[in-house]
Amino acid sequence: MASRKAAEKNLSLAAVLDLNEASALHRQLMGMKGSNVVIDASAVERVGALCVQVLMAGAKTWEEDKLSFTFARVSDAFMKTMQLIGVNIDHLLAKEIRQ
Amino acid sequence: MDMNEIKEIFFQECEEQLAELESGLLRLNDGDRDPETVNAVFRAVHSIKGGAGAFGLDDLVSFAHVFETTLDCVRSNRLEPTQDVLKVMLKSADVLADLTNAARDGGGVDETRSRALIGELEALARGETPVASEAPATKPAAPAHQAAAPAPAVETPPVNDEGFQPIPFSFDDFGDEPPIEPYVPTCEIVFRPKKELYAKGNEATLLLRDLSRLGEMSIYCDMDRLPSLAEMNPEEAYFSWKISVTSDKGEDGVRSVFEFAEWDCELDIRTVEEETVGEAPAEDEELPMQPVPFDLSILDEEAPAAAEDEEPAVADGDAAAAVAAAETATRIAQAASNASRAAAETAKADRAAAAAANAAAANNQAAGQTIRVDLDRVDRLINLVGELVINQAMLSQSVVENDNNGTSSINMGLEELQQLTREIQDSVMAIRAQPVKPVFQRMSRIVREIADVTGKSVRLITEGENTEVDKTVIDKLAEPLTHMIRNAVDHGLESPEKREALGKNPEGTVRLTAKHRSGRIVIELADDGAGINREKVRQKAIDNDLIAADANLSDEEIDNLIFHAGFSTADKISDISGRGVGMDVVKRSIQALGGRISISSKPGQGSVFTMSLPLTLAVLDGMVVTVAGQTLVVPLTAIVETLQPEASAIHSFGASQRLISIRNSFCPLVDVGRILNFRAMQANPIEGVALLVESEGGGQRALMVDAIQGQRQVVIKSLEANYTHVPGIAAATILGDGRVALILDVDAVVAASRGQSLKPETSLAATG
Repeated sequence: MASRKAAEKNLSLAAVLDLNEASALHRQLMGMKGSNVVIDASAVERVGALCVQVLMAGAKTWEEDKLSFTFARVSDAFMKTMQLIGVNIDHLLAKEIRQ
Repeated sequence: MDMNEIKEIFFQECEEQLAELESGLLRLNDGDRDPETVNAVFRAVHSIKGGAGAFGLDDLVSFAHVFETTLDCVRSNRLEPTQDVLKVMLKSADVLADLTNAARDGGGVDETRSRALIGELEALARGETPVASEAPATKPAAPAHQAAAPAPAVETPPVNDEGFQPIPFSFDDFGDEPPIEPYVPTCEIVFRPKKELYAKGNEATLLLRDLSRLGEMSIYCDMDRLPSLAEMNPEEAYFSWKISVTSDKGEDGVRSVFEFAEWDCELDIRTVEEETVGEAPAEDEELPMQPVPFDLSILDEEAPAAAEDEEPAVADGDAAAAVAAAETATRIAQAASNASRAAAETAKADRAAAAAANAAAANNQAAGQTIRVDLDRVDRLINLVGELVINQAMLSQSVVENDNNGTSSINMGLEELQQLTREIQDSVMAIRAQPVKPVFQRMSRIVREIADVTGKSVRLITEGENTEVDKTVIDKLAEPLTHMIRNAVDHGLESPEKREALGKNPEGTVRLTAKHRSGRIVIELADDGAGINREKVRQKAIDNDLIAADANLSDEEIDNLIFHAGFSTADKISDISGRGVGMDVVKRSIQALGGRISISSKPGQGSVFTMSLPLTLAVLDGMVVTVAGQTLVVPLTAIVETLQPEASAIHSFGASQRLISIRNSFCPLVDVGRILNFRAMQANPIEGVALLVESEGGGQRALMVDAIQGQRQVVIKSLEANYTHVPGIAAATILGDGRVALILDVDAVVAASRGQSLKPETSLAATG
């Protein structure tokens, strides 16, 4: 699915991904359209459903654009929240961190 | 803001919710079937429960929970709000109020009563009709097993088709759960948050986390509605969840997780029947439900998302105590936003616009409409404005004294200042003005309770509840009013049987009315009972040596005997009234407020008590007059007109009475200086001025004073608080020149002129 030709952009997620952060995250991702995206979620301490929606919409869009959308690093809190709310991101995790 | 302050706010809100609850129930009782009324009632109980939960007020929560469940049945049209049902609900509202008070002030509540009501409420929720008589503490109840189908229980529980027979069940055992076979129900939940849920600072992840703590949970996140990144609104809710939770907390436990979010999401919760467990509908079977790991402790470290949206950096999660406090604060914010939602239900469009704001912003919005201010601060302001008025009067006076022609620019400026001061004063007074509604609402409870105890059927009709009066007056009104209502029901109204025999409606009516009349508030309490038994009152007065056996009293005078100390005509002294400290105490309390009370009674038709009270205890428009060298203030509201008597208009009558002829009618002339013992001899009326006043009794009198100084607003200073009560004098004030002037109690003076002379201590030369 990933196009190797496109440029790669990095996105480090904030520690708190709440209501306020959803719009900012949306803007950031919109600004990265057309590039492969590598996301660092290692600093995330809490994440709300709105930000997960933005991330998942991003993953869906990137998939349609045939570009890669990868989580290179994730914090435990981030993973646990995903499990809690039933969102499976295993296929989006970088190979190195897949269990 | 510390925890106690938050708690105090919660209790203040409880008061509002309780008032809302009661007025809603009373509206339902009057036949109002507007779904919004039912919703308002439900929300009131729900908000109290929510807030109480945040503070761990378990008694309050558990009662509110049962109450709420029953109200939910009404809301969903499963229970018809008949009079009998509403009777139980009104009683429950009373108990809820008691529990709230107990939670705030300490002390206990009548547990038997609350337990009995819990039983009645639960019976209602199960579809049983309420028992008309006093409810017993125990009742046949449906089985405690929540998953069982709600079978309407009847007096002798029959065995139904499935061989199932309801078992009588004592509520004393309530709470001792463990059934023989531990059955853990499974709930299937469909949870679709709305945009508002997030906008109000709620967070689906936290709700799901709390849900996962109930027991074993698996979840499926439905992302079908999620659009592409470009099309999405990052603050819209797209995800929804299908969840399965197996927990001993059951459906109630699941519902309690969503209780703050209930209005902002679509929620479908159902308990899977035992036999159908594992037989989930086909569509669900295909859902890849994902088990939620038990160990979510890492998520506990985080502070709830809504707590500090402005400062996400605070969420370090290093201090567990801080997190706990923040969590409580969030729940309060949620409770508050629930409350504000209840208040702003009509402004749904506004709400939608405000949906983007977070919980704190929502609170601020609500605060924009009203603010809570410490009464002390308002009082300080009122005092200061009072001083300002006095100061301004002093300034005016000294300018007038030094300005011979009265046209200087300073004088003109002063007039403007005077106007401004008055406006400030009016505005400040308006802050303290409150509708009498809360007191009136309290009375409906009193009526219910006494009706219950006496076995009488009573309807309380209130009118003019929005009439505003100073808060001090309202606060002090409750006690005398309570006493009078008790008297009206206990002594005034006849028993239903007797009423029926007399051809009256077996249900008695007590009517409580408030209205403004010439700058005062007039409160009337009327009953359609037997009226005052004048023979009995007269006999009692003779027995108690209040009057001579041969005294010739008018009907009005006999009626007024009930205001004498130690007078009680009830043959039996009941718990409710008739302790012999009745109406004289009422009269004193009303008088202490600068008010009057009078009674008119028609045998067989009932009695009317009329109380007239000042709107404020802080200022007064008065006419400043001179009497025997003293300066007095006569309340302007009492004065009908002033006139300079001519010799031909004065007529002597009897030994010392004089009448003045005014436009072909005669009016008794009262020498104020003589009545107050300012002088030994009556003054010559021709040398003075007559103030025609209307007293509360309705009659007119001409009060004779020596001269009129002018008309001005005076700040009332209590004589009782600063000196002692002086008959004939209502209060005192400080004049512009710094001297103290006494404010005349017109009614007392008029009453004294009727022969009820003021007591000897009225020698006021010393106090004036």
